[in-house]
Amino acid sequence: MLKLLEGPQTLGRGKVFWSSFLVVLAGALTYPLFADSYDVGNFAYFLIWIFMALGLCLMWGYGGMLSFGQTLFFGIAGYGYGVLAINMGGGTATIVALMLSVVLAMVAAGILGYFMIWGGISGIFFGIVTLSATLVLAFFLGQTAGPEWHIGSARLNGFNGMKGMDPLTVGDFFIEGSTLYYVMIALIVIVYLALRMLVNSGIGNVIVATRENPQRAEMLGYDVRKYQLLTFVIGSGLAGLSGALYTSWGQFITPSSIGLPAAAMPIIWVAFSGRSDLTATLVGSFLLLFGFQTITVYSQQAALVLMGALLLATVMLAPQGFVLGIGKFAADWWSGHRRREESPVMAEAGRLQSEET
Amino acid sequence: MALVEVKGVSKHFGGLTAVSKVDLAVNAGEVHCLIGPNGAGKSTLFKLIVGLYPPSQGSILFDTVDITAERPYARVQRGMSIKMQAPSVFKELPVRQNIRIALQERLSGAERIAEEDRLLTLLNLGPDSEKLAGALSHGQQQWLEIGMALALKPQLLLLDEPTAGMSPDETFKTGELIKSFNAEGMTVLVVEHDMAFVRQVAQRVTVLHLGKIFARGDLKGILQDEKVAQIYLGKTHAH
Amino acid sequence: MSAEVFSVFYQFADVFAFLILSAAGLAIVFGMMGVINMAHGEFIMCGAYVTVGLVNLGVPLAIAQILAALTAGLIGVLVEFLVVRRFYKRPLDSLLATWGLSLIVTQSMLLIVGSAVRGIGTPEGSFAIGGYTFSTYRLVLFACAVAVLAGLYIIFMKTRFGVISRATMQNAAMAKALGARTGRIYAISFGIGTGLAGLCGALYAPTMTLIPTMGATFVVESFVTVVIGGANVLLGTAPAAVLLAIIRMALNASYGQIIGQIGMLVAVILIIRVLPEGLSSVLVRRGR
Repeated sequence: MLKLLEGPQTLGRGKVFWSSFLVVLAGALTYPLFADSYDVGNFAYFLIWIFMALGLCLMWGYGGMLSFGQTLFFGIAGYGYGVLAINMGGGTATIVALMLSVVLAMVAAGILGYFMIWGGISGIFFGIVTLSATLVLAFFLGQTAGPEWHIGSARLNGFNGMKGMDPLTVGDFFIEGSTLYYVMIALIVIVYLALRMLVNSGIGNVIVATRENPQRAEMLGYDVRKYQLLTFVIGSGLAGLSGALYTSWGQFITPSSIGLPAAAMPIIWVAFSGRSDLTATLVGSFLLLFGFQTITVYSQQAALVLMGALLLATVMLAPQGFVLGIGKFAADWWSGHRRREESPVMAEAGRLQSEET
Repeated sequence: MALVEVKGVSKHFGGLTAVSKVDLAVNAGEVHCLIGPNGAGKSTLFKLIVGLYPPSQGSILFDTVDITAERPYARVQRGMSIKMQAPSVFKELPVRQNIRIALQERLSGAERIAEEDRLLTLLNLGPDSEKLAGALSHGQQQWLEIGMALALKPQLLLLDEPTAGMSPDETFKTGELIKSFNAEGMTVLVVEHDMAFVRQVAQRVTVLHLGKIFARGDLKGILQDEKVAQIYLGKTHAH
Repeated sequence: MSAEVFSVFYQFADVFAFLILSAAGLAIVFGMMGVINMAHGEFIMCGAYVTVGLVNLGVPLAIAQILAALTAGLIGVLVEFLVVRRFYKRPLDSLLATWGLSLIVTQSMLLIVGSAVRGIGTPEGSFAIGGYTFSTYRLVLFACAVAVLAGLYIIFMKTRFGVISRATMQNAAMAKALGARTGRIYAISFGIGTGLAGLCGALYAPTMTLIPTMGATFVVESFVTVVIGGANVLLGTAPAAVLLAIIRMALNASYGQIIGQIGMLVAVILIIRVLPEGLSSVLVRRGR
């Protein structure tokens, strides 16, 4: 099993890579010892979104399915967590609420994905159907201001959003601040490593084969629709995990987390980072979230203009992603220096670009 | 015994009839060639057998099971394996991974790696195994795809113009390869218009003309059939 | 009784006009180039703002609307030249590029213009049939939608540009080999598409509040109409709009706007599944 952590579908292997991985992890784990709790909370906030980015990376970079609906599933699970946590009465039940809300997002993805994939929708239509569904959910939630819109005792509350749910709780202990931060770090490590194993496994082989040439993959005996649905459900479930954690973190969620421009954000993170590699997406998304949040403090519009410009610049200048490009360059330089001692670290990075998908 | 049976199959595209009431039986253990001039409906018939189109009429049986309604992957799982006309490989993946994707359902671990090596050597792709498949020459891509088709260890190998774009030397080697697999018991159906290649590999031949079966029989009989020569062979004797 | 029949027609006409006017521009760009213009909503917004700006300067409404459509069209030609042109071989990247553009425009407008702009109010005028009162302007919108379809029919079926552009649509490489200047045809088509988006904004400007994010109000309708209709504006978009308008109208009347929109989306998702060999097989080929 552990062998699958490295493989043809992921960049980064060997001692150098994993030592850097451990150094970064150690840095992340000791960070709360040096920083004040406000900064730790903010840091946890950036980390929330990483799952959604990794999910999109899996679907788009590996599976070749560009979904514009990450915030749809973010919203379903985010509101789902709220509704469940309010109705189940907080406490340890919030952990159950988190899990159920992610399952809810995955079921929704299963249904939508079934209709699209079995209906033969691919390419740009996959994007605009998922985006349409996302916008309709956002509009709908925006219309639910009246008191008649409630699920159990949870009021949807229109544009002002749902609030009043408990954060994740174990017994009487709220998972907040640095505890939440450690939970996030643990979840990210688990998800990141699990995704690496998935894409390097036999299933991952079929997922990338389907991206490259669905007909050929089918001619090798694979029902590609099932693999696409699996990819879509996992990717959307990760968006759902982000959504549920987001609601738990701030104890509120509004339709603006779902509609435009929110729906564009995961795409910008992943495109900028390099959709074809999980590590590039992890690093790049974090950097962008950090930068975006820093600018948002001064002007949210300016931050969004910048994000739009970044997206435009990415597709015009580095369609395979800036972080991946830089990473590749650094790795080439490194392996150039140590060619005799190490096998090429990222020699095959070029293959990852597939402009025509 | 017939491994594949095509019974009264027709295919219309709008007003055009590409294949009309065709009956065809491919017997287990033979190399069967499907020939005919351009536009005869060979590729359409091939795609009907593979499952890329549903037929307008008729049924298709594999090993006595009706597979008319099955999608291509299900047919492959039953023991067919397919090589399409244009090279169709995973261009952005390394050569070895292409083979691996074909092998992984059947073998795992050291066994799989040994089989990968064997196939790569057989196809003369050993030195290029870490290259991206898209970087191979056209002929090499054809070989790689044949290798992927063989990796499934099929009962029936379906090849649509496998030698298109190959040099005469490569074509000959491909023919020998097909014969060696046939000798081990694999049934082969080839759509081909290179008559030299047909002479090299075919045991039985079916001639398709204007969407209908024009003639069928063993290789010798077909080569001597004057009507066939008129519609088809006469034109290709030149090369 | 006839008043009720007219009332049903009026509601249908209202939804149909909205679908056609919001989708026509998007459908032309998709049909010609296989590109979805994600900044479509922003061109609609542009048409609306130019209209309102000109009317506030004293320009008569109808002239302001025509000028607004022309402005959006010209900006479209410029955008095609600077951005979209690079991505005809990479349709997904063209989506991302135009989406980036859309973000830049919307958010810059929010920064510069702010959210509040004085509207101009719906042109007055109504008429009554039986016990019902109807707004004349809504029927004007319907007439405009029909006129747009008729205009597109004439442009694409009766003019030289139409012949060349249909040839380009069928097979761009062949048309080029036969001497068509495909680059210019693409630029003009993109301009027509964004011009129609501008017209949509111009026509609806009097009926709604102007905010920089108003484009989002139109995009869902335009997306789903194009998804169902496919690449052909006349044979695809128009029938799709009729179908969706009927579904939408029925649901709007019984359950209200938001259920109407959800129902329309559900219908679209069901249609793409139920007709894999029909409409969506066309879509898949174009959508790759």
